Amino acid sequence: MENIWEKIYSMTAFSDIIADPRFLVMYALAFLLLYLGIKKEFEPLLLVPIAFGVLIANFPGGGMGVLGADGQGLVHYIKDGVEVSKNVYEMPLPEIAHDLGLMNYIYYALIKSGLLPPIIFMGVGALTDFGPMLRNLKLAIFGAGAQFGIFAVLLVASQFFTMQEAGSLAIIGGADGPTAIFTTLKLAPHLLGPIAIAAYSYMALVPVIIPLVVKLTCSKKELMINMKEQDKLYPNKQEFKNMRVLKIIFPIAVTTIVAIIVPDAVALVGMLMFGNLIKEIGANTSRLFEAASNGIMNAATIFLGLSVGATMTVEAFLNWTTIGIVAGGFLAFGFSIFGGIMLVKIMNLFTKKKINPLVGATGLSAVPMASRVANDIALKYDPKNHVLNYCMSSNVAGVIGSAVAAGILISFLG
Amino acid sequence: MENLIYALELMGIGMGTVFVVLILVIELGKLLILLVNKIAPEEAKPQAKSATPVAVMPNVAQAIAKAINTITEGKGKVEKIEKQ
Repeated sequence: MENIWEKIYSMTAFSDIIADPRFLVMYALAFLLLYLGIKKEFEPLLLVPIAFGVLIANFPGGGMGVLGADGQGLVHYIKDGVEVSKNVYEMPLPEIAHDLGLMNYIYYALIKSGLLPPIIFMGVGALTDFGPMLRNLKLAIFGAGAQFGIFAVLLVASQFFTMQEAGSLAIIGGADGPTAIFTTLKLAPHLLGPIAIAAYSYMALVPVIIPLVVKLTCSKKELMINMKEQDKLYPNKQEFKNMRVLKIIFPIAVTTIVAIIVPDAVALVGMLMFGNLIKEIGANTSRLFEAASNGIMNAATIFLGLSVGATMTVEAFLNWTTIGIVAGGFLAFGFSIFGGIMLVKIMNLFTKKKINPLVGATGLSAVPMASRVANDIALKYDPKNHVLNYCMSSNVAGVIGSAVAAGILISFLG
Repeated sequence: MENLIYALELMGIGMGTVFVVLILVIELGKLLILLVNKIAPEEAKPQAKSATPVAVMPNVAQAIAKAINTITEGKGKVEKIEKQ
């Protein structure tokens, strides 16, 4: 009788959880992320699948955790009671599915191959409107200033990590989940889980981080700069006679320029601009637009979220490297906002037409949440000061900026 | 130390390239605005409003007819209902 109870006990996950209580920390993390996604509505489309991925990956015996390959591409697992080491890149996909389970199949087929991040970028492009940026072209430069955090943290992280790991960590400062995943896959794939979680968590925390940095760096007078009044005082001479044609040509031209200067960024920028192009063409490509912005994008988000979450196993997450990534990611994010704000302040010293520093703070690529948060801050100081359209210019430029920064890191460190 | 110098170099190259690319994007945008204004200045004309009457829910049509009847003391008649 006692034997049966022992068997039942070892059949359940209790025995493993009691033997290694670190699993409880992972459940707490999963519940916290689920709470942030569901109750606090912080990026629920991403945080909910990631959090659920973390949860299901950490039930011992469930086989849903992604096995990370070592430097030689070897994965170690137990098959029929025998420990096996195989090069995962030489394993056929059906064998991965059979031996390592569903989640490893999804991860190695869709994520590790680098397929999903550009696919998601295509969807982002289909949902992006370059109109505000074209109407306020000069403000797009702040999308460059806000990449400062990436390279500042690269500098610091280079003292604690390998250059490839430091580059992957630093790209969190671009505030772009697919870009962070794409860069990490190329530079330090073993850090994919913690970097993706840090990147998406901080993106979800944009409503907290931007106000914090703004409060520390901007005065009330600066935050009350009314962009519309500045426009009236110093009007923009640019007139638009055919916005539709302009919006169609723009993505084609930007892709060409970026592809020539930073070819490593083409996978991201090219797909972003393709998504945007099929949106702007209109009725003739509306079916492609529908697919890119709905079906494909949603399916890609589910698979990306779940499998990235599933990389967060006890072994992969609870170590000093992850703590360093969480801390470094926060610094990168904060420095990026700081970089954008400082660039505005410097420009304000030399120009008559003043710019609200919030436009610099949104040079991150967290579109459109960063702009909405900045708009809310501006409205707190002056209920008539709507800066959303101006912030969208630097915000959208930030998407291009972070993809270019990623391309540079990949080409120098990859 | 070697890593730090390399990271510093990357910072210079990286920030420089991002600025160059975005400046090019801005200038390219200006050029495109200029060219489009010159070559294709016409915005597509908005479609003329449809002359065909819009389908109105029967209960709404009934309510309008009753209102007209009351206001005009039975003299008025609804011929067509159009949405603005």
